[in-house]
Amino acid sequence: MLLKINSLIEELLKIEKPEEFQRQKDFIIQELKRVKTEYDKLLFKYERSSKEKNILSSLLIRTSADLKQVSDKLKIRAEELSTLLETIPAYVYFKDINLNYLIVNHAFVDLVGIPSDQITGKKIHDIFPGYKNEDFLNKEAYAVKTGTAFYDIEEEVEFNDRKRWVNSNIAPIRNAEDQIIGLIGISWDITDRKLNEVELRHSKEMAEAGTLAKNEFIASISHEFRTPMNGILGLSEILKNSPLNPEQMDLLQGIIASAENLLVLLNDVLDFSAIEAGKMEMDYQPFMLERVMEDITLVMKMKAAEKNLGFTVVTDEEVPNLLIGDAQRLRQILINLTNNGVKFTEQGNVAVQISLVEQLANRVILRFEVTDTGIGIAPESIDSLFKVFSRIKGDKTKLISGTGLGLSICKKLCDLMGGQIGVESEPGKGSKFWFTLPFTLSNLERKLAPKIKMAITSGDVKKLILVAEDNAINQRIVSYHLQKMGFEVDLAGDGQEALEKYHQKQYDLIILDIQMPVMDGYKVARTIREEEKINLRKSAIIALTANAMKGDRELYLNAGMDGYVSKPFTFETLQEAINNVLR
Amino acid sequence: MLQKSFHSDSVAGFKQAWSESIKDGFNPNAAILFCSVELDLHDIVTYLKNQDISIFGCSSCGEFLYNDQSQVISEGGLVCLMMLLVPGSFKIRLFDGKEKSSFELGNLIGEWAGDVFKDPAILILGSGLDTDGEQLIRGIQHFTGNDISMFGGLAGDDARFKETFVFSGGNIKSNGAIAMVLDDDLYDIHGIATSGWVSIGADKIITHSEGNVVYTIDGQPALDVYKSYLNVKDCDLPEIGVEYPLLIKKPGAMDVLRAVINVDIEKKSLIFAGTVPTGAVVTFSSSPGFEIIEYTRQKVNEFYDRNEDADILILFSCMARHNALGPTISEEIDEAWQNWRKPLIGFFTYGEIGNNYNAACDFHNETFTLVSLKQHTDVA
Repeated sequence: MLLKINSLIEELLKIEKPEEFQRQKDFIIQELKRVKTEYDKLLFKYERSSKEKNILSSLLIRTSADLKQVSDKLKIRAEELSTLLETIPAYVYFKDINLNYLIVNHAFVDLVGIPSDQITGKKIHDIFPGYKNEDFLNKEAYAVKTGTAFYDIEEEVEFNDRKRWVNSNIAPIRNAEDQIIGLIGISWDITDRKLNEVELRHSKEMAEAGTLAKNEFIASISHEFRTPMNGILGLSEILKNSPLNPEQMDLLQGIIASAENLLVLLNDVLDFSAIEAGKMEMDYQPFMLERVMEDITLVMKMKAAEKNLGFTVVTDEEVPNLLIGDAQRLRQILINLTNNGVKFTEQGNVAVQISLVEQLANRVILRFEVTDTGIGIAPESIDSLFKVFSRIKGDKTKLISGTGLGLSICKKLCDLMGGQIGVESEPGKGSKFWFTLPFTLSNLERKLAPKIKMAITSGDVKKLILVAEDNAINQRIVSYHLQKMGFEVDLAGDGQEALEKYHQKQYDLIILDIQMPVMDGYKVARTIREEEKINLRKSAIIALTANAMKGDRELYLNAGMDGYVSKPFTFETLQEAINNVLR
Repeated sequence: MLQKSFHSDSVAGFKQAWSESIKDGFNPNAAILFCSVELDLHDIVTYLKNQDISIFGCSSCGEFLYNDQSQVISEGGLVCLMMLLVPGSFKIRLFDGKEKSSFELGNLIGEWAGDVFKDPAILILGSGLDTDGEQLIRGIQHFTGNDISMFGGLAGDDARFKETFVFSGGNIKSNGAIAMVLDDDLYDIHGIATSGWVSIGADKIITHSEGNVVYTIDGQPALDVYKSYLNVKDCDLPEIGVEYPLLIKKPGAMDVLRAVINVDIEKKSLIFAGTVPTGAVVTFSSSPGFEIIEYTRQKVNEFYDRNEDADILILFSCMARHNALGPTISEEIDEAWQNWRKPLIGFFTYGEIGNNYNAACDFHNETFTLVSLKQHTDVA
């Protein structure tokens, strides 16, 4: 700048004539202004520098201290991370973008038995020569290419003749500019877990096999129980109809009551085992509520009368009669609750009330209430009442006999059918058990024939029934009941004999035991149905069976039978089954 | 576009230049005016009341005008650009900011702009000490959406930090904003906002703030932190604070600078030109030196290459740049003038508003925010 001013001065000194000075003046002034501007800028820069110096120095000192603090914190953090890396019970490794190992932790070094400095820079095949899991390698490559993380990759790896199961997570690592610079892998040794899984699976299979065996045992034992029970109850009934003195009649009533209790117990155990095994399936069919309630009334009125109790059923007007649901299970719940009512009531009455809770387009929810004037239930017992093996306690000392399964079964049945169950009670005054169940409305009234209560005869000619049953006692019981109903009865001791008798006579009805020697009931039924196609005869067939498990019904129907009666049966159940097929 | 522009050091000079400009039959319908608080603004506004021209003006912290006749960067003067725009293609309105938040003020402007034109572009000047520039923008965008072109600045008062003004022809407000809305279909409006300021030191956390008022940084009173880091006294603030703004880190987006425009000594708080939210990660920042001029030149040249055609240029340059660069600031303004050779009017601001290249409008500090305006059709 000084040079520029000097040269301008020299230019001025060279001027000799005043008119030339005037000519050069404007140019020189302009040049000087330009120099002045440059000078101002330089001066500003200088002054600015010294002014800024203080502030920047202060900022520098303070931020240096800050950075030192940050650096110290980072050091501590790095040490913490390093400790974590070395103590974590997993194999941890870092790889660069080319998937070369960068850092591995102690656990990894211990696993492969190679010092870490010899691992750095190597690829997976250098460390695990036999490694063949292409899927894992692809995932690693994909992770560093796209930034995707992968979790829970399970694989079995082999090294130094040792096989280990590992669960790996891999995630990309990015730098401050968000560029992927490599990946971190964490692999957990899950060999023990895998072994445990195998053991657990084995145990589970064993347990399942055990449950299956238990269910088969229960099904089989129930059959074994039912045949003699049929004998006891059937013969007792025959005996009851013979001339007995009052003492004998009393003893007989005791036998019948005990046998009936045993039957209830047997049925409860069977139902419970079916529910527990998840095999209880509902059988939704059209039915008439009225008829179910008539059955209940018939049975319970008698039982109540024995204790001088009243028994009433009240059905609200708006409750529909034609429903689709599992009538058998509804009957079971009602019998159970009304039985309890009678059992725990010494005076007064037991009442059933049915009301409509909700009606939708084609569905209704009904509420059934069973009220008694019995001993009631202690408040502390109410919560556990519907649990397995819970039994109704009137007070702390008095325990009433029972299996402890009945209410629990009622609850399970309500649950299975989408309903609810509950109880309100006051000790000493009585209980109100209630349950609600949904039903579909049925319009199939014509299919539900009215109940026939009388034995069927065709004019004066008695209808002919063939009974095939290998058990002599049961033969006697069935023929006794059938004769009382007014039928003529032929007997066969096995399936083959039954078939022979069928060839000789035309029977209106054939009652077949299922398990018989020589030829079982199914085969007899199938053969008869085949022959009917040729001989154009038609007989009704009813299965008589102790196989009371769900699903049997389909088997009988598939074999061409028209109905079945489960052992042990009563006069009424046998009669109803016959009425249904002979109408 | 027909236009005339002039610079003056006095009110009398202004009046004379104004009347001379229209003596030859030039009949402008809009004028941009940036004026120092040294001059009697009320006198000027009263004078303009009698002129049938829409005025878009505010007080400045130094003003500049580059045209074929002269290239002036002044302090204590005024610059004026008179234009004949297509009638009906623009509207100017002054808004009162009293008893309104900056967001609410923005709402009013955004709603109005949307009513005036289907596709509005907005030039806006806000009062410099009461406006949270960021909230003002968010308030406008609340009505217009983020795609709108919007540029402007916050008024200055020659670094006194006492009272700034925005004005129209006949009215002046110390707390408010003036907006010029243009029919975006009839104009090309583009711009850049470039800073060059760099982050200094370790990250800090804003531990307590409300809007643009910061109470604590890293748990310490904000004013104490500032004074201690910059080694300055109360009297040096806020002027020094403008030059050493906080840089707010925005992960995944452009970092923004927030300059201190006021201090509350009693509450030991700092008042920034824009929102500084609680939890924000910030650092101090500074101009890295005179090399930022080179950086700006480069950005201006890139902008020119993309957008050569302009009738006028408007520049909103942060007052902190003027402080930091002194007389050398002319070098970055020269670069714009030399490229387009079209009238360039502007002032040193307390905050800048603008869309960066291909980005939504944001509020800035420490930037060189240059706007090019091109009218598609001239008035016959």
